[in-house]
Amino acid sequence: MSSLFAIFISAILINNFVLYYFLGICPFLGVSAKAESAFGMGVAVIFVMTIANTVSWLIYEFILIKFGLEFLQYLVFILVIAALVQIVEMFIRKFSPPLYKALGIFLPLITTNCAILGAALFMISKKYNFLESVFYGFAGGVGFTLVILIMAGIREELEYSDVPVVFKGAAITLVITGILALIFMGFGGLMSA
Amino acid sequence: MREIILACLTLGITGFGFALILAFLSRKLKVEEDPRITQIFNMLPSANCGACGFAGCRGFAQAVVSEGKIFSGCIPGGQELNEKIAQIVGVKSEAVTKTKTIAVCRCGAQSGEKKESAEYEGPLTCKATHIIGSLDCIYGCLSYGDCVKACPTGAISLKNKRIYVDTKKCIACGKCIVACPRKLFELVPVLESIGAYAVCCNNTEKLTNVKKVCSRGCITCGICTKVNDSPYYLKNNLSRIDFTKTKEETPLRNGKEKCPTKCIFKLE
Repeated sequence: MSSLFAIFISAILINNFVLYYFLGICPFLGVSAKAESAFGMGVAVIFVMTIANTVSWLIYEFILIKFGLEFLQYLVFILVIAALVQIVEMFIRKFSPPLYKALGIFLPLITTNCAILGAALFMISKKYNFLESVFYGFAGGVGFTLVILIMAGIREELEYSDVPVVFKGAAITLVITGILALIFMGFGGLMSA
Repeated sequence: MREIILACLTLGITGFGFALILAFLSRKLKVEEDPRITQIFNMLPSANCGACGFAGCRGFAQAVVSEGKIFSGCIPGGQELNEKIAQIVGVKSEAVTKTKTIAVCRCGAQSGEKKESAEYEGPLTCKATHIIGSLDCIYGCLSYGDCVKACPTGAISLKNKRIYVDTKKCIACGKCIVACPRKLFELVPVLESIGAYAVCCNNTEKLTNVKKVCSRGCITCGICTKVNDSPYYLKNNLSRIDFTKTKEETPLRNGKEKCPTKCIFKLE
């Protein structure tokens, strides 16, 4: 069980998907302007990352390994993620229209989120078992949510500051992301390797 | 060779499998939506300006079908469109203005004409400067462009610290009226074969006070009201246009040319 906790802490703070691996920058930049939409995006990512990891792991174990087709993981995982996002969107649309209204636009955006594919590929390369993979997906999503919420808070405050014209928009956000990455490096010593 | 076939088969079957699942689920989880919503949505101008009060054109279409009312109608769409929509939902539509109206900024002073005695350092938005005050004239345009940002069609532009509204792009949605902290925007009718005229000054103080803060403000001299058949009248130390008296362009043009501070404008 301590390994699950270690995976949890590491995926959120130490090897954060956005700030350590620099994945998922696209939705991170695009959706971090307002705290509400950022939270919606974060929740959607947690959802999809967890389920994508689950299904991907099962397919990898019971189809790809069985036939010696591990090299197909990239293609198969993308397929799984794309299909999953569509299914999740259909479910939410049917069973929770208010949630659909709140998250609606972001769900399709997640298909192109490379952090989701990253989580799936990393769980394979780190040779996690089933439970660890699911946990890793969940923790990765939580890490993404944490960082996008921080960025949303900062950007909302930034609205009242005097940002030089050349830096406005994506430029200053990227600079801030870099600084955040430096800050999160401080967590590196949290766990001895 | 065996690997290639196996790989193709695996990927193909997995893909096909997912496609089947998706097709099955899309039928099972189908959300019945009134086809009228899509029908109405396709008729709307898709500007998503929000003038109707709903979340974009899609929101308006959904509200109209679910409530069976036109509400205040689609403003850029005009009377014709609203009547068509009313027919689809089976309602009588209330009149939306028949004549085209556009928004006009009632401050015509450029940089150099309106005095700015203070040096301002702070957030560069009209909302902020309005509270703190950077212009001598407390009624005039602060020219930090809150309206430019609010306009959904990009009809508003800022040049030389003066606001220009492109009459062809303006859809009279009213967002600029809300955005301006000094309430400088007003909807004026675009008169048939004449165009849009407006008196561009918002300063309701007397002559000496206006001259102190701006060289282009309305000084309430009344010259425009004295031309033949003048549609101009004076109110609150400002000249205004009575649009029920604007059948001909000549009196409007005469008033504009005779104005000593040149604060009457014709919008292109």
